[in-house]
Amino acid sequence: MGISDVKDRFKQMPPGMNMDQAIVEAERCLLCHDAPCSKACPAGTEPGEFIRKLRLRNITGAIRTIKSNNILGGACGVLCPTAELCERECSAMMASDENPGGSDKAIRIGDIQRFLVEHSREIDFQPVEVEESGVSGKIAVVGSGPAGLSCAAEVSKLGYKATIFEALAEPGGVLRYGVVPFRCDTDFVEKEIADVTALGVEIKCNSPIEGKAAAEDLLKQGYDAVFMAPGLWGAYALQDDSANIDGCYSSVDFLASIRNENFDNIISDFKGKTVAVIGGGSVAMDCVEAAARLDTTDVNLIYRRSYTQMPAEEIERIEALQHGINFYILHQPTEFLKDGNKLTGLKLVRTKLGEPDESGRRRPLLIEGTEWDMPADIVIEAIGNKAVDDSSDWYPNVKVDGKKLIVAESETGATSVPGIFAGGDIVRGPALVVEAVQDGKVAAKAIHEYLSDKE
Amino acid sequence: MAQKKPDLSIEFCGKKYINPFLLSSSPVSNSAEMVERAFDAGWGGVVFKTLGSDRLRIDHPSPRMNSMTVGTRKMSTVQNVEQITDRPLKDNLMELLYLKKHYPDRRIIHSIMGFADKEWEYLAKMSEDHGADTLELNFSCPNMTIEGSGDQAGKSFYDIEHYTSIVKRAVSIPVMAKMTPNITDMTETAMAAKNGGADAISAINTVSGITGINLDTLVPQPEVFGRGASSGTSGPGVKPIGLRFISDMAKDANLNLPLSGMGGIETWIDALEYLLVGASTLQVTTGIMHYGYIIVQDMIEGLTDYMASKGIMKLDNLIGSTLPKLGKTDLFDLDRQGVVEYDLDKCVGCGQCLNVCTDAGGQALKWDDETRRPELNEDKCLSCMLCSFVCPVSGLIKYKAMPEGWKRNETAIRDPSLEKELKYEPYVHDGDDGCLV
Repeated sequence: MGISDVKDRFKQMPPGMNMDQAIVEAERCLLCHDAPCSKACPAGTEPGEFIRKLRLRNITGAIRTIKSNNILGGACGVLCPTAELCERECSAMMASDENPGGSDKAIRIGDIQRFLVEHSREIDFQPVEVEESGVSGKIAVVGSGPAGLSCAAEVSKLGYKATIFEALAEPGGVLRYGVVPFRCDTDFVEKEIADVTALGVEIKCNSPIEGKAAAEDLLKQGYDAVFMAPGLWGAYALQDDSANIDGCYSSVDFLASIRNENFDNIISDFKGKTVAVIGGGSVAMDCVEAAARLDTTDVNLIYRRSYTQMPAEEIERIEALQHGINFYILHQPTEFLKDGNKLTGLKLVRTKLGEPDESGRRRPLLIEGTEWDMPADIVIEAIGNKAVDDSSDWYPNVKVDGKKLIVAESETGATSVPGIFAGGDIVRGPALVVEAVQDGKVAAKAIHEYLSDKE
Repeated sequence: MAQKKPDLSIEFCGKKYINPFLLSSSPVSNSAEMVERAFDAGWGGVVFKTLGSDRLRIDHPSPRMNSMTVGTRKMSTVQNVEQITDRPLKDNLMELLYLKKHYPDRRIIHSIMGFADKEWEYLAKMSEDHGADTLELNFSCPNMTIEGSGDQAGKSFYDIEHYTSIVKRAVSIPVMAKMTPNITDMTETAMAAKNGGADAISAINTVSGITGINLDTLVPQPEVFGRGASSGTSGPGVKPIGLRFISDMAKDANLNLPLSGMGGIETWIDALEYLLVGASTLQVTTGIMHYGYIIVQDMIEGLTDYMASKGIMKLDNLIGSTLPKLGKTDLFDLDRQGVVEYDLDKCVGCGQCLNVCTDAGGQALKWDDETRRPELNEDKCLSCMLCSFVCPVSGLIKYKAMPEGWKRNETAIRDPSLEKELKYEPYVHDGDDGCLV
C-alpha cells in the first residue's frame, strides 16, 4: 500500500443523506407538540422545529433554525452521540404502555441536521446574519474549539467585535485536532468555521495566550471581556514517563499528527505493528479505527470495565468490532514492558466489576494472580485529557479546582474575575461538542448583559 | 370440501367480462404489445387509446406529464397533456385485430373521436368491422388542441346527443359515452348521451387542473417550451370526484344506464368503492402508470378475499350496495351526537391531537406535561375527528356515539364583559320572498 492510498482512507467521512432520504425521515416525524428531541438538545438546536420546517418544504428556514441556534450545527449533526440525546427521546420509536420499548427507530435527527447544513452550502445559503443592535465592544476568545467558536459567533451576531486567539496552526480545536478526519473531515470543519468568520469573527492562529497572567492581560489590552475556552490538551498517562517511552503515544499527539497528515512518519511507525489502545471512550475508538487504517497487524483495545460501561457510542463500538479491532475488556494495564527504552508490551491484569463508583458505573476490581503480558509495538493512551499543567498561571486570579478546571457559573460562564468568562472542557472536564456550543451561547449572553450593565 | 371462490365475472352491455378491470383509454393502452402484457397480467379488457381518422395530424406536447408529490407519496395526482392516438388508424386496427385474435376471452373496447359527423360514423364502422366488442365515445379529453373536440364537445348537450345518435345509427354494437368531470352535473350530460341512444356511460375522464408551477420560469407544469395549460389530472387525488359522479348517475332513475367507473383506482379498496356506488366495470390508468399492470393481481386477490369474507359470491351482488345509504345531508339525524374516545395505553405521546384540537377543533384536549398524554374533555369535543386523522397509531382514537339527548357545551365566549357593548337584535323572519323553508 502506498502512502497516498493510506492517506485516502483518512480524508473523508462517509457521505451523508440526500434530500430524498431527509424527506423520508421528516415524513416519519410525529411533529410532537412538545418536541422531546428539542428539549434533549444541550445547545437548543431545536430539531422539532427544523424537522417540521423540512416537512413543510421550508428548507431555508430549517437551515436557519439550526444555524441560528447552533453555529456548529453541522459538526454536531456529525459528532453528537444522538442516540443518547435527541434521538433517545424520539416519539417516533412508537413506545407506549402497550409497546414499552417501541417498535420503530428514532428519526435520524443528526443525519437530517448534517444534511441540511451541507445543503446550505450546496445552495450557497447564508442563514445567520449580524443584528443591527448598535452595541460596540471587543471580545477576546481564547481557543477556537467549539466553545470559543460558538461564543465568538454569538457575540458577533449581537454586534461585538470578536477575536479568537488560537495556539495551534489551524482553527477548530478538538473539531480539527481531536477527531479523526474520517469521522469529521477537514473540509467540513473548515466550512463550519467559515460560517463563524462570515459573521466578522477574526481568528488569530499560532497565537497562544499563555505565560504569566496572559489571559487576564487581555482585559488591559483593550478587550472588554474575555471568554476562556482553551480546552484540555494535557493527556492522562499510565505513568509519568509515558511520553518518553519509544512506541508510546498519547491520543492527543496521535490524532493531531493524523490531522496534520504526517503520514510519512506515521506509516513507517505503524506498518506491520501490533498496537494497543488503552481506553473506552470515543477518542479511544477514533484511535483504534485510525490505527487499523495504517496497515497494522493487530489493534487491541484495552478497557478496564465491561462493554456496556464504555463511554463510546454504541455505533462506534460496533463499527470498531466490525473493523476487526480486538476488544480486551475487563483488563487493567498496570505497567509498560520495555526493552531498553523500546516498548515491547503491556502488563495486564484481569478485572471484575464491583460496586458502582461516583460515575455510576461499576468499579473494576483487579483479580489477583491474573497478570499476563501482552506484546505490543505501540501503545496509545486514550484515557482522558486534562488541563495543561501550567494553564492556571495564564489566569492567576481566576478560581480553579483541584483538576485545574476553571470554576464558572453554569448559567453565565462567569468566573471569579469580572469580565472573564469560561466554557467548554476547561470548565466541564471532557464533554461533548454540543455542550461546549451551549457554554459559548450562555457566555455570550452573559457577556452582553455584563457589558450592558457596565455602561 | 374447498369453499367456492367468489366470481368476479360480470356482464356489461350484454358482453361477458372475466373480471371488471379494464385498461382505460390512455398511454397504458397505446399498443398491442402493451395490452398483451396487461392481458397476461390478468386485466379483463381494454379500452384502447382513442382512435382518430388520420385526417388531422395529432402531435403530443413535450413533455407530456407532471406529477404532484404529497409528502413522500409520488404521483398523488398526475397531470397529462396527451391527446388521442398519434398512430395511423391502419396500424391501430391491426393492433386491435391482433388482440381480438389472441385474447378471445378479453373484451376489446374501441375508443373513438371524430371531428365531424361523417368522421364519427366512419370510425364507428371501422371499429365494428374490426371486432370491437363495444365503442367508447371520447367526449371528454380536456387536452385536445383541435377546436370543438374532446371535452368541449362533452360540455355541449347538443354535441353529445348528436354524435351519439350518429354512431348509434351506424353500428349495432353497444355504445358507451365517456364523460368529462369538468361540468357541474353529470346526470345531465349523461342524459344527453342516453337521448342519443348510448347504452352505457363511462366516467370520469381527467379533471382539468394545474399540478404545479415552475418557480423559476413561472410556467405551469408540464412546461411545454415556455407554455403551460390547465390539463387532465388524474390519480388518487381525483377519486372523490369520480365516486361522486358515478354515484350521482347511479342514483338517477331516469338515466338507468350501466356505468364504467374510473378515477384514482389503484387498490382493490378503490375498486370496491366504485362498485359499491354503482359502477359495474372499472377502468385504470394512473395506477398502472405508477405501479405497472401487475396491480390488477392485487385488485383481483383483494376483492376476491373481501367478497369471500362477506359471503358474497357474485360481483353483481355488490354493485350499488352503498346507494341506499347515500343521500343528501338533509337526511342526517342531527339529534344524535358523539365524541371521540382515546385508548391511551397505545399512545406514543406525540401530541398532534392536541395541536389540531386546539387550532382546528373544539379545544377539548389538555396536555399533561408530566405523562405527555392528552386529557379529553368530552363536553367540548366536536367529533370533528381531526385528532384521529393525525394520530400515528391506528385505532387509538375512535368515534363514540353518545346517548340520545346528549349535548356538548357551547363554545365559550372569550370576553363575556363585551355583552354591554352589543347592538344585537334577534332576526325576525317575516314575508316569504325567496324563502327556502
